[in-house]
Amino acid sequence: MKLFKKPLFFLFVIIFIAAILRLYDLGKVPHSLNWDEVSLGYNAYSILKTGHDEYGAFMPVVLRSFDDYKPALYTYFTIPFIGILGLTEFAVRLPSAFAGISAVAIVYFLVTELLGNKKIKLLDREIDVSLIALLTSFFLAISPWHIQFSRIAFESNVGLTLNLLAFFLFLKGLKRNYLLPVAFFVAALNIHMYQSERVFSPLLMIALSIIFYKKLFKIKRWFLLSLLTAIIVALPLVVYILNDSRALMRAKGVSVFSEQTLVKRSAIKLLENKKTGNIVGKAFDNRRVDFVKATVGGYISHFDLNWLFITGDIARHHAPSMGLLYIFQFPFLFVGIYLLVFLKIDLRYKIAFFTYFLLVPVPASITSGVPHAVRTLNFAWTWELFIALGVAAVGVFVLKQKKAFIKNSLRVVALFYILFALFNFAYYINQYFVQMNYFTAKDWLFGYKEAIAYISPIKDQYDKIIVENEVPFDQSYMFFLFYLKVDPYYYQKLGGTDSGGFKEEHRGFYNFVFKSTRSASGGKKTLVVGRPGDISGNSSNVKVIYYPDGTPAIAVGEK
Amino acid sequence: MHKSRFYLVAIVIVAALLRFVYLDVIPPSLTWDEAAWGYNAFSLGVDVKDEFGKNFPLDFIESFGDFKPPMYAYLGILPVKIFGLNEFSTRFPSALFGVLSVITTYFFVLEIFGKQRRGLALLSAFLLAISPWHIMLSRAAFEANIAQFFILLGIFLFLKSMRNKPYLLMGSVLSFVASMYTFNSARIVVPLVVIVMGLFFSRKILQQWKTTAIALIVGFIVCLPLFLFLNTPQAKLRFNEVNIFSDSGVIIRANHQIENDNYTPISKIIHNRRLAYAVEYMRHYVDNLTPQFLFIRGDGNPKFSIQDVGQLYIWEIPFLIAGVLILFRKRVGIWWIVPVMILIGIIPAGFARETPHALRIENTLPAFQILTALGLLSFISIIPKNKKQIGIGLVSIVVLLNFVYFAHNYLTHYAREFSGEWQYGYKESVEYVKAQGSGYSDVYVTEALGRPYIYYLFYMKYDPVLFRSEAQIYREALGFVHVNKFSNIHFTSKIKDVVDVGALYISTPSEKPESAHILQEFRLLNGDVALVAYTL
Repeated sequence: MKLFKKPLFFLFVIIFIAAILRLYDLGKVPHSLNWDEVSLGYNAYSILKTGHDEYGAFMPVVLRSFDDYKPALYTYFTIPFIGILGLTEFAVRLPSAFAGISAVAIVYFLVTELLGNKKIKLLDREIDVSLIALLTSFFLAISPWHIQFSRIAFESNVGLTLNLLAFFLFLKGLKRNYLLPVAFFVAALNIHMYQSERVFSPLLMIALSIIFYKKLFKIKRWFLLSLLTAIIVALPLVVYILNDSRALMRAKGVSVFSEQTLVKRSAIKLLENKKTGNIVGKAFDNRRVDFVKATVGGYISHFDLNWLFITGDIARHHAPSMGLLYIFQFPFLFVGIYLLVFLKIDLRYKIAFFTYFLLVPVPASITSGVPHAVRTLNFAWTWELFIALGVAAVGVFVLKQKKAFIKNSLRVVALFYILFALFNFAYYINQYFVQMNYFTAKDWLFGYKEAIAYISPIKDQYDKIIVENEVPFDQSYMFFLFYLKVDPYYYQKLGGTDSGGFKEEHRGFYNFVFKSTRSASGGKKTLVVGRPGDISGNSSNVKVIYYPDGTPAIAVGEK
Repeated sequence: MHKSRFYLVAIVIVAALLRFVYLDVIPPSLTWDEAAWGYNAFSLGVDVKDEFGKNFPLDFIESFGDFKPPMYAYLGILPVKIFGLNEFSTRFPSALFGVLSVITTYFFVLEIFGKQRRGLALLSAFLLAISPWHIMLSRAAFEANIAQFFILLGIFLFLKSMRNKPYLLMGSVLSFVASMYTFNSARIVVPLVVIVMGLFFSRKILQQWKTTAIALIVGFIVCLPLFLFLNTPQAKLRFNEVNIFSDSGVIIRANHQIENDNYTPISKIIHNRRLAYAVEYMRHYVDNLTPQFLFIRGDGNPKFSIQDVGQLYIWEIPFLIAGVLILFRKRVGIWWIVPVMILIGIIPAGFARETPHALRIENTLPAFQILTALGLLSFISIIPKNKKQIGIGLVSIVVLLNFVYFAHNYLTHYAREFSGEWQYGYKESVEYVKAQGSGYSDVYVTEALGRPYIYYLFYMKYDPVLFRSEAQIYREALGFVHVNKFSNIHFTSKIKDVVDVGALYISTPSEKPESAHILQEFRLLNGDVALVAYTL
């Protein structure tokens, strides 16, 4: 184990690997920006130039974007990058990539802090905590889950980094008290980052405060200062939510309480109970029971091994044919969980870790569409810590064997397993960098950039350009704002965006109109952008943008 | 001693009540597989021949083109003789063996963890007695439920023979063999379990090599008909129908991936279809441990789960997890058999396309219940003494409420909601034909709901000898059997094309001609019409 006497050198190497995996071809893989990414980018651009977002809100605390009413912090983080690099895919995704690389570094220090700074005992052997921390950090660096969201402009990824930072600073702050207010500052900042963090970050800080209440009681002043800091930072959001009922629209839209099928089934049962005068039924067959079940079901769905290792959830949330973790890590996960449960470290730190682990799915559990890799991205490093412990323990087990035969045969097995792991990694790299753009172009809303590049030079030849505004082209206006780099002053002077709903027509600009093209007709002077099936039929001079697999994506032509 | 026996008796009574009461009406009606078991048992009871006249069938019983292990039909002979050919007698073996499993669980747990763990053994048996999973599968003629008992008994006798009673090894072997004559999954599970147990006890087995050798030889001989059958195309038929390796999508995808890599040699290795299938297998295997399946909704097939509770109760989640951790931590006695039962029990189900599948992994029971019991008892043991009674009381209330929730939904809503899944309506239509059919020259029955003839045989208690001599039977190339006619009853998939003014028709409402004279409608319990009787 002398190798690990210089952990920081290794950490540097790991960060370097993490950086390569997160920055290489950042603007091109995934293939294209999805609607949330263009929206974040254009709103950052708009705020940078005018101080107002697309709706004309001045320095918004909450970004209305497509009526998601989402926390706006990511947009502000993006502003300097767009200021320097211009309004490009790369600039929009860069903050997330940076956050991802930072997370790989922070997790090292967090794990060191959690496991108690020195040595732990695994299978009767003393192991440097830094080894476990390095392994965790390394696994996070190559984690399919973490890479997935470090390479796209998803707020959730920065949220994870801030949580890691807050967690680390809190633990550190117990010893160096001036860090405690910083921890609370970061955690409070995080509620401006992502919907899930509005629930998760406060819960985490409350839980940590309870676990370490004795210690905090001793440093009352610092703790009170921390609380004050948190309140001040959180205040704008609280004021906003109190003033604008629409702020929670998104949360309502995705919650399990809006699922109608549940309600229908229990309604039929209730009717039946009434007919038969069944009293037991009255207590059991009601919506509340169903919602409790749905919530618990949503929570535990995040412990589905298939989701973690093999399938993932929707296509945008994982590389094709890959789960969120590597299959080679599968056995180590269980070893690691077992070891950590019974590991001899400071009990409060252990409880702190497991509290974090068990809190992660809480915000997602009341939503539909579970399991959800984005809403539970805070999980990413916890699984890697378990796996790191598992790998270390199995390593110790192989190395400590005394009998030559067993020792040698185990080493051969281990060698083959390492080859398998490398193979698994190579497979992932191939799936992500080569196969993903081919198989999931549609999920990434591929085609807008190419279509707009075609339209841009010829747009002035037409009186009117009608762009499809309905499925699968909902919110198409945002892509045109983004790729045409429409001047935010000009757009806001027209009135900006009126409504974020998915069905509404959107305000046009220049000679562009955004509405359904099904009924659209016009002479030679009208260009139509929309579904290939709608346009190619009865017109000449049609340009079709194809997905990489050869199926048509977008058509541009006269109708 | 006496006290725990008393509790055991109480648990067995609970188990029996939960399995036998209303056995004929909940589930509301017989599926065609159940009806086939019942009629085959009836037929065997008449002249030791199965429905199609196969003499003393050992290797398989042919049923709707499926070649099933025959045990259930033999076990049904006596009940059918005693109670007559009806729903109760058909389901009787499954319910009875369900109760026997509960008893065996008690002794099995004592064998694993030692005689002093009576509380654990009682709790495990109790949890199996009230398990939604085990209750649902014990209340219909599912051969898997019988196989589960035989496997459990086989493992129990094996462990006991290793400890102090070598002669029980023979019993173990016979029980294992019986399970392989009962359900297909057992044919994969049993050899694997035997190998694993053999490895753990290899020293002991070598010491007792004489008993082992005799048991193995006897086991081999008894298995001979099975081995011979496994080599036939019929044996592979079912497997080919349900297995994941016939999914060509995997290969098409792999080819695309290789193309995207410009056909490099490395790409051909990493996108090898065997690897893709291996991952596919793993996906189906792990599917059987999905939390949603285990704790929230259960199997998507309403025949195996009422859709309101999981295969296990929702309250079991924390205790099951604690149980696993404690089992591995303490490693008491023959603790390893519990995870082995789960890990091996899922192996056959992983090959099938429909996963998760409560029936095919039933042989993992009662491992889940044992783990939950272990976790629950450990939880109770760490409650401080003065609060123990409150703790136990609270847990009991939660357990009871969850059970009442299951029982309420099963008793009051289940039959109405899912009577269609149980082919409700067939019985009523057969009773109608029985009463009115003699007035017509011919009766035409639709095959649209599947396999109608078996219900006519079953509910008319039709003489099997007569059936075999007069039935018009047609076999498809792949083995599916159609009975086109017996007596004056015709079965057809094209009932619309039959024009016979003097005949009685039984068909689905959508097949009925507009102008027909409706005589009677046969409704599902939710009010939808399943079948109608009419004349032209």
